[in-house]
Amino acid sequence: MRLPNGSYWTSGRYAAAFIAPALAVLVLIVVVPTFFLWYISFTDYQLQHAWGTQAFVGLDNFVRLISGRDHDFLPAVRISAVFLLFSVVVEFLLGFSIALLFHRRIPAKRLWMSFFILPMTITPAVIGLMWKLIYNTEYGVLNFLLTAARLPKINWLGVDTALLSVVVVDIWQWTPFLALMLYAGLQSLPTDPFESARIDGASSLQILRFITVPLMRPMISIALFLRIIDALKIFDTVYVLTRGGPGNATELLSLQVFRVGFQHTGWIGRSSAIAIIYLLLSSLIILGFARLVRFDSESRRTPGETV
Amino acid sequence: MNGSRSGRVKSVLIVIGIVAVVVFFTFPVYWMVTTAFKIRIDTIDPGKWLFAPTLENFRVVLRKRNFYAYLGNSVVTVAASTVVSMALATPAAYGFARFRFAKKRDLAFAVLSLRMLPAMCVVIPFFLIGRFAGLLDTSILLVIVYLSFNIPFGIWMMRGFIEEIPIEVEEAAWVDGCGRLETFVRIVLPLVKPGLAATAMFIVIQSWNEFALALFLTSFRARTLPTMTTMFFSVTGIVWGEMAAVGVMTTLPVLVFSLLIQKHLVRGLTFGAVKG
Repeated sequence: MRLPNGSYWTSGRYAAAFIAPALAVLVLIVVVPTFFLWYISFTDYQLQHAWGTQAFVGLDNFVRLISGRDHDFLPAVRISAVFLLFSVVVEFLLGFSIALLFHRRIPAKRLWMSFFILPMTITPAVIGLMWKLIYNTEYGVLNFLLTAARLPKINWLGVDTALLSVVVVDIWQWTPFLALMLYAGLQSLPTDPFESARIDGASSLQILRFITVPLMRPMISIALFLRIIDALKIFDTVYVLTRGGPGNATELLSLQVFRVGFQHTGWIGRSSAIAIIYLLLSSLIILGFARLVRFDSESRRTPGETV
Repeated sequence: MNGSRSGRVKSVLIVIGIVAVVVFFTFPVYWMVTTAFKIRIDTIDPGKWLFAPTLENFRVVLRKRNFYAYLGNSVVTVAASTVVSMALATPAAYGFARFRFAKKRDLAFAVLSLRMLPAMCVVIPFFLIGRFAGLLDTSILLVIVYLSFNIPFGIWMMRGFIEEIPIEVEEAAWVDGCGRLETFVRIVLPLVKPGLAATAMFIVIQSWNEFALALFLTSFRARTLPTMTTMFFSVTGIVWGEMAAVGVMTTLPVLVFSLLIQKHLVRGLTFGAVKG
């Protein structure tokens, strides 16, 4: 955005008047609580105890987690990493394929694509319910279909399969989002490079590899960036579907914060330490990726300026 | 190309692909909706695809599961949080769109990063502060904590919409003697009305769908609709039909809202980064 010069447009004094109220509220309700979280993570506070009785324990909570003395923590990090990697990679590949599939003349295309809205707007907790219905071993429709195809039933939410089942739900929920975004990107690409490549006799695969993907790079990185952010936050669907179980099979970091802090034990101090590490790991990944994406107003103009 | 054999094979494959994609993404929803209309014996018989529909599940949920109380809480929480966050975010968005100041990019990104915060990272301090303030299990607390993700979202979305207004319009108002605030209220706000509506609708959807904070910060009086999904955890005799009916009724308003903003959907889901 090019602004005219002169004091009227540039005066920071006025900007502060417009921005300050929102920022003040955000500092009060997000920044202050985050500092408070740091403080709690250095104490042994428990949910059932009166506030003020907690002792300062220094780095004890963190040492316990990182040294592996808490047997559940490192597996939770691993499970979170597996979940993140698998879901985002599959969603991207599938979403890009679907975007390419729809990037042609198709009768009633708008109607078909409007179905993509379902998974990403349905209340995530309800998505958990929905898949609970589908995954149920005895009454679920998935096992019914397997039986009909003369295949053995699968305990979808059992110890060995639950994580995969959770990943499938995430793929169902978020692939349409990537498909829609990447489709919008494809539609906004200039047509000339594709025409000249075809005239030069390039194969479809060559066009994809040397023209489509390079041109789509800014869009792809924004799509992946947003997807990673949300995948790091996941809680609702997994909580409703498995509550982190069976055992610890689907206990992502977010679910471990819940279990340690709110269920049974009520160890708020320890749970806060998990939350802090969860926060740091998430920020690290997000900031690392943000360096690759220019997520500001300039880049916001260029991709997908279609409709 | 359509005349050749490989061309025909290709178009058949494309049709199969499209059908597969549409079926995969709609079938789970279809299954939940039909389950909601099945009598109990039919819900545990996945082989019975044709059945006599019943409204019994909805009736039970409305009467015995206290549905109206949850609905009321959801409506109050969502409405209040949307109004407050829009009132704070819109002027801030104007500040980011139309002024130059030091570190603007960093500040804007810092605001956005708050939106990236996992709910489970902040739920503990929210819970304790809520307890100190005596606000646990009240809609007020939910309204306040929902601002934490609604304000950043509102700022980024509205900033994009405001930047789309030609700046000449404001310059003309300035030449005519309008002050900064007057320009904002009398010129900019009327022009971004569609943007305001779309952004507010997104905030409504996000707040309506929020689950984790509602689950841990309320227990009885202020519970919202999505937390009803946790009613069905008992191992013995899950009532699938009622469960599905709750799902359908919780989701229905969201679907209506999202159809209203279908045009802006990609934009909203990307914080305004992509104008699809």
